Amino acid sequence: MKAKFICGRARLLAALCVLAGACALPARAQTSAGQLTVTLNVQSSISLIFQTNPASPAAGFCALTNSGTNNVGLDLGSAAFPGSSYVGCGSYSHIGSATYQVTSAFDVVVSKANTSSPNYRLAAQISTPPPANVTWLVNNIVLTNTGFTNLDAADNYGTPVTKTLQVQVKNNVPAQLLSETITFLASAN
Amino acid sequence: MRKQNLTRTAAIAILMLSSAALFGQTATGVINGTLINKNGITLVFDSDAAGVALGNSGTSAASVNFGNISAFGALSAGVTRPSVTAANFTVQTIFDVNVTQGGLASASYTLTANLAAPAPTGFTYKVDAVTLTTVAQTIQANGAYGTDVAHNLGLVVLTAAPGAGGPAVGSPITATINFTATAN
Repeated sequence: MKAKFICGRARLLAALCVLAGACALPARAQTSAGQLTVTLNVQSSISLIFQTNPASPAAGFCALTNSGTNNVGLDLGSAAFPGSSYVGCGSYSHIGSATYQVTSAFDVVVSKANTSSPNYRLAAQISTPPPANVTWLVNNIVLTNTGFTNLDAADNYGTPVTKTLQVQVKNNVPAQLLSETITFLASAN
Repeated sequence: MRKQNLTRTAAIAILMLSSAALFGQTATGVINGTLINKNGITLVFDSDAAGVALGNSGTSAASVNFGNISAFGALSAGVTRPSVTAANFTVQTIFDVNVTQGGLASASYTLTANLAAPAPTGFTYKVDAVTLTTVAQTIQANGAYGTDVAHNLGLVVLTAAPGAGGPAVGSPITATINFTATAN
């Protein structure tokens, strides 16, 4: 009788185990795995942007259009040799007895990434030959369209460098629109 | 003569009986077919039209090549650069995850991801808004089955120079991200 009871309990346990197993199977989370391999190659790089000088608006500190980019506009207004007719945001002055100059300052910011370069060189050139007796300068350095002219040998990254664009016009230049695209080149040292 | 007729009739009757017995021979058989229909779930990566074309797209072992990346230079097709700061820049692409299931009552899945190994120096890997570590983290808690679900894979790269906390420059860098889809 005792043996029968033990046998019956074992059967009950076995049945419970089977039931528990059956219940546990659907509860087990179904998963699926995948692997994504990511490859890349980091390159050193630098960037150059122009910014309106913080002194703007003030005479000689024109606001740039598209400031904060590497493609900006700088409208110096309209001028004539008699300085009283100058209309614009630049600074008008006479150089000698027969030439006037309009200037405006702006900032150049060069940033670097993933490079140990300590500083950079800055150069500029104009896109087309100016009319006779018209000269384009940056910080008193005459620009040409035949090649880049060095402006600075070692400027610091991440710091605005103020440059002044100058246009000098002799009084015998016919009335016309004076326009240049000036390309600035920063080169990591 | 009459005896002969009786004998013939008897012979014909025997032949007819024997022929009927031959036509009654039949055989039958049955096949007891069984199939265990198990539940299952699978995950594959698909290229997204807006992202980098994956290597082995449509499989669970795909690859994505960002190509050359930099803070300011040109990027490969399908790679964008949503942010550049003095400290770091981010490049990202889009890929799709497609999870299918069968035999489950599950209505959705949970997607987790982790880096197979610690991120290389100067890098942080992100899937959507989740910064990856070697520990699995939930990317999506209610993914829909049977459809491409787009995810952003982002790399935040320090701008520091190599040796100063920044990443190695000019050499390929590879990392593996493990994804797991779990039926809800």
